[in-house]
Amino acid sequence: MSAAPALPRAWRDGQLAVLLLLPIALINAIGFILPVLNLARYSFNRSRIGGGIEQVFTWENWVGLLSDPFYLELVLNSVWISLAITLTTLVVSYPIALYLHRASGSWRTFLTVLVISPLLTSAVVRTYGWIAILTDDGPVVSAIKALGLPAPSLMFNIKGVFIGLTEILMPYMILALMAGFGRLDPRVEEAARTLGATPARTFRKVILPLTLPGIALGCLLCFVLAVSSFITPKLMGGGRVFLLATEIYDQAIVTLNWPLASTLSILVLIVFGAALWAYSAVLRRLD
Amino acid sequence: MTAMKNATRAGLAALAMALATSVAMADTVVLTAYSGIFQENYVKAVVEPFMKANPDIIVEFYGMPNSAQMLGTLRAQASAPQIDIAIMDVSVAKAATDEGIFAPMDETVTQHLADLYPQARYEGVNAAGVTFDNLILLYNTDKVQQAPTSWNALWDAQYAKQVSIPAVPDIQGTTLTIITDKMAGGTNYIESVEAGLKRLEELAPLVQTWEPRPDVYQPISSGTAAIGIGWNARAQVYADLSDGKLGVVLPEEGSGFQINVIGLVKGGPASESAKKFIDYALSPEAQAAFTEQMFYAPTNAKAAALISEKALQRTAAGAMDRMIDINWLEVAKVRDAITEQWRRRVIPLSR
Repeated sequence: MSAAPALPRAWRDGQLAVLLLLPIALINAIGFILPVLNLARYSFNRSRIGGGIEQVFTWENWVGLLSDPFYLELVLNSVWISLAITLTTLVVSYPIALYLHRASGSWRTFLTVLVISPLLTSAVVRTYGWIAILTDDGPVVSAIKALGLPAPSLMFNIKGVFIGLTEILMPYMILALMAGFGRLDPRVEEAARTLGATPARTFRKVILPLTLPGIALGCLLCFVLAVSSFITPKLMGGGRVFLLATEIYDQAIVTLNWPLASTLSILVLIVFGAALWAYSAVLRRLD
Repeated sequence: MTAMKNATRAGLAALAMALATSVAMADTVVLTAYSGIFQENYVKAVVEPFMKANPDIIVEFYGMPNSAQMLGTLRAQASAPQIDIAIMDVSVAKAATDEGIFAPMDETVTQHLADLYPQARYEGVNAAGVTFDNLILLYNTDKVQQAPTSWNALWDAQYAKQVSIPAVPDIQGTTLTIITDKMAGGTNYIESVEAGLKRLEELAPLVQTWEPRPDVYQPISSGTAAIGIGWNARAQVYADLSDGKLGVVLPEEGSGFQINVIGLVKGGPASESAKKFIDYALSPEAQAAFTEQMFYAPTNAKAAALISEKALQRTAAGAMDRMIDINWLEVAKVRDAITEQWRRRVIPLSR
């Protein structure tokens, strides 16, 4: 019995890595890079009346987009609404994630499954659930009315989108936070308390700084998901909430203005790029 | 045992041969049109009778949710079409024609062109009108006690925050703009719909949603909304399914048509059989059958004589004199401007 022949030396020196990376790089190039380049090309075409496309090279779409107050407001609206939703999701998810991080045994498993379980239902179904709950005849508004308070309109406006998206994004935020809580050692907290720090001070000076990587990751994930979310604003916004994703749908599917839809899509990519840059800047500072 | 084996073999061979010959003989025509309730009824009223009469042709119905997606698919297949026929909105068909997707629509395709109403033919569109639909007023019979007779019911303050309107760029919103403009004294909707927009600004605060989902018919049937606008054919079908909860009215001021056209895809795989189907789809018999089934008004003038009075009354056929003649190709030119005005002036007033 002779030993298996050794791998050629060159393979061990990195060619193997290239070979192993090749399939995914190819899939990525065909399935992602090329379509994005094609999309970018479309944003320089001209749309004809009624949905036709003229193959030219023009900056019209970009100039039109950047000089039209409606679209500038649309971009700003999308960014700030997504930021606000991300922040709210963080505030409501953080205590849950921290509790889960500290829990142990089967109780922890049970709670984790509970947190993840909404992901097993499609966002469309959950959104319809929220419509039933928040509509003017629904239980929430009825309960507020029963208390004798002025009933707010919670559905088919920005409030509905806000509530729906926050709930839908919570599992992602909680999972990202838990993944980033690795550095939080209970002994450090104990040490702080032993040295006389109040619970609030322990949280501010010890827990929060140690969990910042998780917070940054969760915020990046939720922001990207919020900016690109389309079903929930479409179903719960009542046609009053204009966001980038819903506008891309309208331009691509209803108005058939593919060049403008492509321009807006590239703009979303630029927003994502900015978010990623901010995330890595935060990470660098943390290190 | 051997005998049985042989019998099985012979049986299988016969089956294989039968399958092979039927596959070889049958020509498959792929038709794309709206999915859902349209598909259900069109297959029943037109596709199945056609296949019965032409056993050598199989028509495969490839449903898509809207005309834009049909155009997108046809565009993607431009170099090697898989679809032979498309039924889509006339303004989208214009874009498809401009891009060279449709073959010319003439007497070599169908013998029925001369019998079609003039509104079914558009210059510059390689497709012929196959269904007429019109905008109607929808109401929930529990919430609206007395059947409304006028579009003005939408502005009735007692239905505040209970009005459901599919807004522009959906063409239901565009059609409402044109009707409202005419009611408010507008004379030429291509030049200006200012009078209509002013009136819609008054409607905005009463609107519950500008984007009813999954469509406008369900929320009104279920009572989530009280009143709204929609297309006649679908409304009639859903009204029958709603246990009397969904009311449908063609208001006294009249309405406007939406037109679906049928087009032959250039270079499709089964063009000859596809022409046969288009000819059948535009025939008085097929047109009458689809009106009986789903209450789209026929585009073939000879069809009306074959349709029952009961079905005809549920279409706009009896109110032709009150219909606004909307030229959708002209509207396409001002559609962006109308959308812009809605978004900047009308919808913000409902926040």
